[in-house]
Amino acid sequence: SRRKRARARHKPCELRELEVSVSELGLGYESDETVLFRYCSGTCEAAVRSYDLSLKSMRSRRRIRKEKVRARPCCRPLAYDDDVSFLDAYNRYYTVNELSAKECGCV
Amino acid sequence: DEMLRCLAAPPGPVGQDPRGWRVPVDCVRANELCAGEPSCSSRYRTLRQCLAGRDRNTMLANKECQAALEVLQESPLYDCRCKRGMKKELQCLQIYWSIHLGLTEGEEFYEASPYEPVTSRLSDIFRLASIFSGMDPAATSKSNHCLDAAKACNLNDNCKRLRSGYISTCSRELAGSEPCSRRKCHKALRQFFDRVPSEFTFRLLFCSCKDRACAERRRQTIVPSCSYEDKDRPNCLDLRSTCRADHLCRSRLADFHTNCQATFQSLTSCPGDNYQACLGSYAGLIGECCPGAGRGSLPPRLHPCPSPSSSSPGFDMTPNYIDASTTSITISPWCSCKGSGNMEEECEKFLRDFTENPCLRNAIQAFGNGSDVNVAPKNPSPPVTVPPKAEKSPALPDDVNDSNTMYDTSIITTCTSVQEQGLKPNRSKEESLCYSETQLTTDTMPDQKTFVDQKAGCSRQRAGRILLLVLLVPILL
Repeated sequence: SRRKRARARHKPCELRELEVSVSELGLGYESDETVLFRYCSGTCEAAVRSYDLSLKSMRSRRRIRKEKVRARPCCRPLAYDDDVSFLDAYNRYYTVNELSAKECGCV
Repeated sequence: DEMLRCLAAPPGPVGQDPRGWRVPVDCVRANELCAGEPSCSSRYRTLRQCLAGRDRNTMLANKECQAALEVLQESPLYDCRCKRGMKKELQCLQIYWSIHLGLTEGEEFYEASPYEPVTSRLSDIFRLASIFSGMDPAATSKSNHCLDAAKACNLNDNCKRLRSGYISTCSRELAGSEPCSRRKCHKALRQFFDRVPSEFTFRLLFCSCKDRACAERRRQTIVPSCSYEDKDRPNCLDLRSTCRADHLCRSRLADFHTNCQATFQSLTSCPGDNYQACLGSYAGLIGECCPGAGRGSLPPRLHPCPSPSSSSPGFDMTPNYIDASTTSITISPWCSCKGSGNMEEECEKFLRDFTENPCLRNAIQAFGNGSDVNVAPKNPSPPVTVPPKAEKSPALPDDVNDSNTMYDTSIITTCTSVQEQGLKPNRSKEESLCYSETQLTTDTMPDQKTFVDQKAGCSRQRAGRILLLVLLVPILL
C-alpha cells in the first residue's frame, strides 16, 4: 500500500472530482444538496522550467533570502466551472460561482 | 362495431399509416407544399388576409374567404401538425392556427392539440424512476426523492448548468419594486425544460414526498416567487383568453387539454393511459406565454401578444403545486374564479382541470412511485374487458405488439360506423372523430345526444373497467 500511495502522489496534475454536500463546502451555506466538486491535484515535475531551476539556484546562493518565492510549478485550475445553484435548508436559492475547477494546469 | 368503438382508445400514430392514407406532415412542410401549387398558395394568402384582425363570423360572411377555407380543407395544410421543440416551432404553430382559427366555432372550451401525439411512451423514464425510488436502502424513512433528484441533476453537467441558469436568473433581485425579471426567468425555465432530458426534469418536478421539507422543495422547483406568484391573482378565464391570444401559449394549453383531460374510458383516467404525454404537456406549460424576445426573428404574430404591463409582466399559464402538502397534490395556475360573473361555472370547470384532475394526479403519483401501467396504448383495453364475441369486426390480433395495424383498423371502423349511423357531423368534427375516441367523446358530448345514446352499448364495458380499476389501484400504487 505504501507503493500505491507513492504512485498516487506522483500522478501528474489533473482534474479530480468529489461528490460533496453543500454544507461540507464550508462556505456557510446549510443545505443537504449534493454537488460535484472538481479540483486540481497532482505533481508538476514535468513542467519545471528554466525559471524554476534558476530561482532555486538564486535561493541556494542566498541571492534571494527574505522574500517568499516558489521555485516549483503549481497544479491549479486554469478555468472554473459554471455557476452552481442550490436550495438551502430554509428554502432559499443561492448561486455560487467559481466553485469548481474546469481545467487544470501547472502554472 | 360498437364494441370496437369502445376499444379504439388512443390516438393512433397518425404519421405512420402503412397505406399512406392521410399522413399529416408538419405545417412548415405543408406550407412549402402549398406554396408549390398556385391555387393553394393564392387561397392560403387570401385566407390569411381574411383572418387578419377579424373574428370567424365576420370572416365567413365574406364569400371569398369562405371559398378559400373550403379549398384549403383539401390541402395538406388542413391535417398538418407540429412537433414540440421542433425547428421553427412558432412558425409551424402560426400556420396551424391560421387555418384552424377559421375552422373552430368561436371560443371552444377544449381545443385539439396542434402537436403530434406522443406515441413513444418513454417508459424508460418510469423504469428509471422506479430504480431510483427503490435505491435508498439505508434511508427508507429519511429518503427525500426531491433531494435525490437535485443530486442527480447536479451530477450531470448539462442539467446542472441549465438548472443553475434558471435558478440564478429567477432568484436575482432587481433594483426597485420588481422581485426579479419574470420574462428572463421564464425564458431560462423553458431552456431547462426544452434542453434537459425529461428523466432529469420530471424527477425534479414530480418527485414523491413523505414530509413537508421534501414537498416544499418540490414546490420550489420552478422558483415560484418569481415564475409563478404575482401581486394580483387574475381571473382564470381572463388568463385563458390572454393565453389564447398567443400561438405558443394557446398550443401548449390545447396540448395539456388533449393529453391530461380526465376520461372514464381508461384505467388511469388519462387519454390512452398515456402518463408520459400528460406529464410532457404539463411541463410544456411552464414558463410559457409571451416569451417575446429571445426566440429568434419570427414572422409577425397573427394576434399580437398583449404587451406586458409593469405590474404583471408574466401573465401566464405556468402551473405549480399550491402548497407543500404531502398527502394531497393540488396543482393550479396562478388564477382564481373570483369576478367570473355568470361565467363562474365555466371558470370552475377550467380550473378543475388543474386542481381536481385525476389523470394529472395519477400521472404525477405514478411517476413519483416509479410505476407505470402496463396496459395501453400497446393494448388499448385490459384483456378482461374484451368481449367474448366481436362478430363482424375484424379479428383483433392476438399479438398486440403490432399496435399500428390495430389502431388503424379500429379507427377506420369508428369513422365508418359513425357515417353508417347517418350522423352528419360537420367536417371538423368528423375529422376529429377519426383521430381518437377521447376527442370524439369530448367533442360530441355536449351537443350530440343521439350519439351518446348509441354509446350505451359501451357502458357495461366501462363498468367492467371501473371495477378493474378498483381492483388494480391498490396493486399499482
